[in-house]
Amino acid sequence: MASEITEQYLKVVYNLTEDGVAAKTTDMAKTLGVTPASVTQMLHKLARDGYVKHEPYRGTVLSPKGKRLAKKIARRHRILERFLNDVVGVGVDVGHDQACKMEHSLGKEAEETLCKMMNHPLYCPHGKKIPKCERAVECEKCIEDGVRLSDLEEGNEAVVSHLVSRDKEELCRILAMGFVPGTRLRIEKKLPMGGPIIVDLRGARIAIAREIGAVLHVTRQGSG
Amino acid sequence: MKISLAGNPNVGKSVIFGKLTGVGVISSNYPGTTVEYREGRASFAGMTIDVMDLPGSYSLAGNTEDERVATDMLYDQRPDVVIDVMDATRLERNLVLLFELIESGYSVVAALNMHDLAAKTGLSIDVHKLETILKISVVPTVAVKDEGVDELLHAAIQLKPRSTFQVRYDSHTEEMLSKLTSMLRQDDWRIPLRFVALRLLTGDHRIMEAAGERVTIEAERLSELFEEQHGESLIVHIGRDRFGEAGRIAREVVTQTQPSRRRTVSDLTIRPSTGIPILLLVLASTFLVLVFGGGAIERVLVGAYQDLARGFFDDIEAGASSTYLSGAYEGVYISIEAMLAIVIPYILVFYIMLSLLEDTGYLVRVVSLLDGIMHRIGLHGRAIIPIVVGYGCNVPAILATRAMGSKRERLILATLITISVPCSAQTAIIVGTVGNYAGAWWALLLFGIMLALLLVLGFVLHRVIKFEPSGLFLEIPELRMPTLRQTVGKTYIRVKEFLTIAFPLLLMGSIVLEMLMSEGILQRLVDPAEPFMVGVLGLPAITVVALIFGILRKEMALQMLMVLFGTSSLALVLTNAQIFTFALVMAIFMPCLAAIAVLIREFGVKNAGAITAASIAIAIAFGAVSNIILRWAL
Repeated sequence: MASEITEQYLKVVYNLTEDGVAAKTTDMAKTLGVTPASVTQMLHKLARDGYVKHEPYRGTVLSPKGKRLAKKIARRHRILERFLNDVVGVGVDVGHDQACKMEHSLGKEAEETLCKMMNHPLYCPHGKKIPKCERAVECEKCIEDGVRLSDLEEGNEAVVSHLVSRDKEELCRILAMGFVPGTRLRIEKKLPMGGPIIVDLRGARIAIAREIGAVLHVTRQGSG
Repeated sequence: MKISLAGNPNVGKSVIFGKLTGVGVISSNYPGTTVEYREGRASFAGMTIDVMDLPGSYSLAGNTEDERVATDMLYDQRPDVVIDVMDATRLERNLVLLFELIESGYSVVAALNMHDLAAKTGLSIDVHKLETILKISVVPTVAVKDEGVDELLHAAIQLKPRSTFQVRYDSHTEEMLSKLTSMLRQDDWRIPLRFVALRLLTGDHRIMEAAGERVTIEAERLSELFEEQHGESLIVHIGRDRFGEAGRIAREVVTQTQPSRRRTVSDLTIRPSTGIPILLLVLASTFLVLVFGGGAIERVLVGAYQDLARGFFDDIEAGASSTYLSGAYEGVYISIEAMLAIVIPYILVFYIMLSLLEDTGYLVRVVSLLDGIMHRIGLHGRAIIPIVVGYGCNVPAILATRAMGSKRERLILATLITISVPCSAQTAIIVGTVGNYAGAWWALLLFGIMLALLLVLGFVLHRVIKFEPSGLFLEIPELRMPTLRQTVGKTYIRVKEFLTIAFPLLLMGSIVLEMLMSEGILQRLVDPAEPFMVGVLGLPAITVVALIFGILRKEMALQMLMVLFGTSSLALVLTNAQIFTFALVMAIFMPCLAAIAVLIREFGVKNAGAITAASIAIAIAFGAVSNIILRWAL
């Protein structure tokens, strides 16, 4: 496993080479807040490990191996920024600093759930593209594949992850009742003969038709 | 001064409205009782205050009929103060509507209603802290017990400047808001620019029109860009921020002092294995109380009345100067007797039962329980509420169909209610005749036939008018113990109408009939109907008069029958088979004038005419079949 400092460097190279040009040592030094000399030293180490290729007078580019790792870190960074900005509500700058620290410890599963929870964001708050995850499924497919409220069994607990509906009124109606992403709920009862699902939402009981239940995508939680 | 009452459904707005204005309104423990707004007047501290009760809504976005009415009223009327009635036990969700009210620039006062219930479930709410956070007055109330209502009105007339509280949206949303507000001028708007910008971003057509093309296009562009970047609709995003804020506030002011109890009794009513037997038990006991309880009350009342008043009326009739006058006296005597025989025993008892069912919140459980079955007849479970209301009176039931999703659903439901749901007056006829003379089983059979008609008719209409019923989406309230005061108040409002409108009509009708009968004119008038009445329905020709008077008001049919035969014991003049056929025809036969009027208003003359014609045809067909079968069987 790569060290944190390696990840940090690779991410910076990734950011600087996104437009297809090679990264300059001086730019890297400025971004990282270190001297160009220490950057050069670190790049030698990275090149030895096969993460980057350093070409004198042109700059640094990522090797395929380095690119894969860098992409993963950049993805985590940008998803975290999105999360810190949209859900937690801290500003863009604070979000960036926090994300820089959190990106190295974010696990794969948490990253995937965050992505789903925020309905597969495409851009970070700075407007940079969030790299796709390594899973073989299409993003669209991934959204559709999620567990629907109507798929849950009695007694299951889940958290609303996102809503899939083209009908604005329906969307508003569901939201106003309190089914916003991130809300925990429990299936109390599924009535027979295609009857409604009875959901416990913040202590309120709501009867919801199965077809409306299909709009709500959820993430299962351990039942208890 | 104008005050509006707003709030989520089923939080007690109507009760507070009633307390403020003294206007009798009917509240129920289920959402959607108020389909139209109501106005009333309150006097307080020497001021006259116009109070408006808005339909319950979860938001101001106008997504359902109720919400549209509420939002339009708020926008058009610009009340001086909006009282937001909140359910203290569901503070978090109730706060979201409050945010919207504050955002839209009203001077808001919050009523923290059902405060006692919150305390009982172990919730303690720091009202002072809530006031500090929201920067508005918050008054704890228990509307059904009249607690805090005066304080609420007192807080409302202070006309505090509008709160500066703001929901914090995420930075991207805020950025878009400030961009849009910079393009608008406050002088052009009566509402805060921030709210205008919010509505523009969420696509409110009314605001978009008022804002003009330039800003609208920019708002659409921003919101599309947002969706593209976040992969999530801005509407969802804003909703999440509001609920996030509401959750934060709720966590700050609410403390759970004791663990909340698990619900047990109320679970049993929803679980099909226990819920269906409970439902049958409730239906059976309602029926039994109505037939046997009503019957017993009737015998006591009518017996006492005959003992007391017969002699008196005999004397004045004997002293009358003409046969017309003695006829008129007899009319008065019988009208009072009919009133005692129908209204008090059956209609009163029925409304007491209905109000108990409503106030406990049991009806909504039935809605969820029967949703699956209702889908088979093209309706969703929510249709149960208008249907049950229809067993009281068809007029509010037809209005209540507005809560249904589509126009087609409404039409199907209104047709079913008008034709196959006997209203309390029709029920009084069924129970007071068939139940009384032929026996409870026959009355049960008749209700069974009506229920079968409802299902078959629904099934057929569903096939003919093909469409998908919209889905059920409804909050189930906690079961509550109904209070005596509420039950009495509600029953009084409902029965009062019979005494003030129906009784004078009955009185007039019977006097006219008695006078016509005393000279034998009536007999000549009904002669042409004889072949039809006797031949097809097997009823005496004179009963046609009862059918016709029944159009005015249903309870008049039975009343007229008593006047026509000159007795309240119909068993002396009609066979059980005839009584059964008469009641069956009456139960289906054309809607009363009030119902026709409301059908025309809601669905147009053509549809109302079709429903009326269908009801007459079905009534005659059922009457003829019943006549043939009963004549053959008995």
